[in-house]
Amino acid sequence: MKPSRYVGLGVTAGLLVAFFLVRGCPSNRNATGDSNAAPRRGGQIVGSIRSTPRSFDRLVAADQASDLFGVLTQGRLIRINRATFELEPWLAERWESSPDGRTHTVHLRQGVTWSDGMPLTSADVLFSLKAVFDAKAGSVVSSSLIVGGQPIAATAPDANTVVFAYAAPSGPGVRLLDMLPIMPKHKLESALAAGDFAKAWSPGTAPTEIVGTGPFVLREFQVGQRLVLDRNPRYWRKAPDGGSLPYLDRIVLELVPDQNAELLRLQSGATDITYSELRPEDYVPVRRGEQEGKLKMVELGVGTDADAFWFCLKPEAKKNDPRLAFVQKREFRQAISHAVDREEFARTVFLGEAVPIWGPITPGNRQWFTPNLPRYAHDVARARDLLKGIGLEDRNNNGVVEDAKGTEARFTVITQRGVGYYERGTSVLREEAAKVGIALDIAPLEIGAMMPRMLACDYDAIYTRPLFSDPDPAGNPDFWLSSGSTHFWNIGQKMPGTEWEQRIDTLMIEQAGTLDLMRRQALFNDVQRIFAENLPALYFAAPRLYYAHSRRLIGVTPSVMRPQLLWSADTLSVTNP
Amino acid sequence: MVRFFLRRLVFALLLLVCTSSAALFLTRLAPGDVTAQLGPNASRSEIESTRARFDLDRSPLSQWILWAGRAVRLDFGDSFLYNRPVAPLVIRAAGNTAVLALAALAIATLVGISFGIVTGSRQGSHTATLVGGASLVGVSLPPLLTSLIFVFFAARTGWLPPGGMSSAGTSDVSWAAWAIDVAWHLPLPSLALAVPIAAIFERLQSQSMSDAVQQPFMVAAIARGVPRRALILRHAWPVSLRPLCAVYGLVIGALLSGSFVVEYVTSWPGVGQLMYSALRARDIYLVAACAAMGACFLAIGTLAGDLLLAAADPRVRDQHA
Repeated sequence: MKPSRYVGLGVTAGLLVAFFLVRGCPSNRNATGDSNAAPRRGGQIVGSIRSTPRSFDRLVAADQASDLFGVLTQGRLIRINRATFELEPWLAERWESSPDGRTHTVHLRQGVTWSDGMPLTSADVLFSLKAVFDAKAGSVVSSSLIVGGQPIAATAPDANTVVFAYAAPSGPGVRLLDMLPIMPKHKLESALAAGDFAKAWSPGTAPTEIVGTGPFVLREFQVGQRLVLDRNPRYWRKAPDGGSLPYLDRIVLELVPDQNAELLRLQSGATDITYSELRPEDYVPVRRGEQEGKLKMVELGVGTDADAFWFCLKPEAKKNDPRLAFVQKREFRQAISHAVDREEFARTVFLGEAVPIWGPITPGNRQWFTPNLPRYAHDVARARDLLKGIGLEDRNNNGVVEDAKGTEARFTVITQRGVGYYERGTSVLREEAAKVGIALDIAPLEIGAMMPRMLACDYDAIYTRPLFSDPDPAGNPDFWLSSGSTHFWNIGQKMPGTEWEQRIDTLMIEQAGTLDLMRRQALFNDVQRIFAENLPALYFAAPRLYYAHSRRLIGVTPSVMRPQLLWSADTLSVTNP
Repeated sequence: MVRFFLRRLVFALLLLVCTSSAALFLTRLAPGDVTAQLGPNASRSEIESTRARFDLDRSPLSQWILWAGRAVRLDFGDSFLYNRPVAPLVIRAAGNTAVLALAALAIATLVGISFGIVTGSRQGSHTATLVGGASLVGVSLPPLLTSLIFVFFAARTGWLPPGGMSSAGTSDVSWAAWAIDVAWHLPLPSLALAVPIAAIFERLQSQSMSDAVQQPFMVAAIARGVPRRALILRHAWPVSLRPLCAVYGLVIGALLSGSFVVEYVTSWPGVGQLMYSALRARDIYLVAACAAMGACFLAIGTLAGDLLLAAADPRVRDQHA
């Protein structure tokens, strides 16, 4: 090679290296900061989402991204503080409830405007409620706003007052209004009248058309890439120093479908926050990032939702299945509960970051959790005795128990494919159940294939995590009531199929209509006790949740509920705006 | 040549209709449908209205007839996930996929062919052994692994963006600034996609080059005193291109339509990522439209391959003349 060519090659290589070094200089995104330091104004944070919102209208889409968008851009009259679970006045500055708990008079905050400058009035509240119950609008929040079997009604005596009328007394009372995002009448009224409400704020809508009362407004939506939200200059809430909120100028939400890539981006400083809590397998790399001073790992506490294992107990769906005879016996389910070593389960499935539980309400739900439930100690001999008591023994010595007719206790468990803790959970469950002679075959499915089977009771058993939309049990009647759509083991019963479900129904209806909190808690403790005795769904461990964010964030108030950090986005700020 | 093009066009149309129809039927017949996305708390009326909106309350055949009738008028239906017509979504994503695939193809061609020429013309040398070994590793690396390796590399070093196609806030910058920003995001996914293909090209080029240098005309050229460089580049290389051109079209088609994993891991907003999310959600019309776009890419790829082959080999030109 000629010397001139070496020179050319060297210059090119030098330029390339210089280019990469300049572009690749570590940014100040990873600059460390104190999350309790004084807030600063300006700057932006970058988060990630795993899918884009289906709609910019939270009333018509319940997916996680749409919910997050709603939290950032829309306001509610009253808000449940995700950190304390307490009620906070939001767009409403105060309210009064009648002694019978059926009428709630809500006074709107003075001077609140939409992001386009139009004033927020009671007409917007009435419009939002009308849209919720409009048959063509396709609202996804309507079932949450039904009390005593009737939709919540509302009237507006003046521009700043709304009177909500419930058909029956309601324990949660005005708490239900947290489920109602207030939408702008002046922007959406014509769509509702034309029957196009469901599509009015689709992701193709121009950002300028989308107005809200939340801390941020949509600046741009790049399909398949990101959402960019700018601070709402007309946001009503003020900082303790009297200055305007939010502190941040911008939030960028990058679409990162792959969770491994999402974690790598967080570690590299390309993003400040992730979409959801960490997976147990992420704890080690994140802790390493914390030691390197790049990340901060926050313990959110014990999650309010836990993985559950249940059998289809619907007689109509299993009328030709001889196994239903013993599956329906509570001793069978109690035997499985005894067979599982919950401490070991927590260690293996959640890598030690979980606490044993015996019912659906976890210690994370401080207000409604009770430790005084029947507990099933790890006792293989007791499990075998229980099975023997209902006629299940290993008569042919093949390791699987069968009844007198030779029907084996063998079941296929479906679970969601690709979720590490589900796969580990079913694996542990299979091993533990095998020790008492119950054979479980695991069949991971895509969520799209799993859901219809779950709703049609077209399965033997399922292992998954049912999500509660509200820590208050009255907010989840569909789970507890035998007629409910998420009463998974036997959905939508016309009449309670068992005596104990009848008792739970009675207690739940009573507690939902009781105004005294102590009395409600006592009634719900009874519900939990009946549940734990009969075990329609088995719970083994509740994960301790962790969240990671970059060290530049200030004012982090984490919650065990999603969105873990951005629920209080208006008070977040960064060390280096 | 005109007949050749017409034949190709008819083939492309057939491929497009068959692929998108098959995608529609398969998505429809697979267990579950888009209403699973509404969650377990969805009301019966909500589920029914969603099924009606996406024609899932009809028989698969009736749905296909309705969809095909609309597709003729270039209405390919709405997406459930994006709540808007699928056509603009897919067209935009196809543009992004094309950018990625062409960059990967350029890298793979440049690297693969260059090294293939070197190793093919210097059989048995240390360089040939080294490059051949590296190619074998490259061929056996799945794109999922290369993507994760490159994302990890980018994340650890900070030298390249660890994903995405552009930076935030580039929607209102000048075209040139946007193009520079995209170019900055391009190396990572395009390298992840290019590595296995470059390895395939290198192996093919190496083999065909080693065959070509042993041809009698090469001996004649050496006897005429043609310098080695000209011997390889002017005489042997054009002859060695034929097997490469034969697979080139397929590679182009596969690249354009099959960069699913790379797009998913590197968050590149192309057809692969769109189709993956559509498949997961059983977003039936979006799946069909993405499949149709994949078929278009494949048709374009095979056509480009045929043209290259014709350019490289006079016998092929004569055949189509």
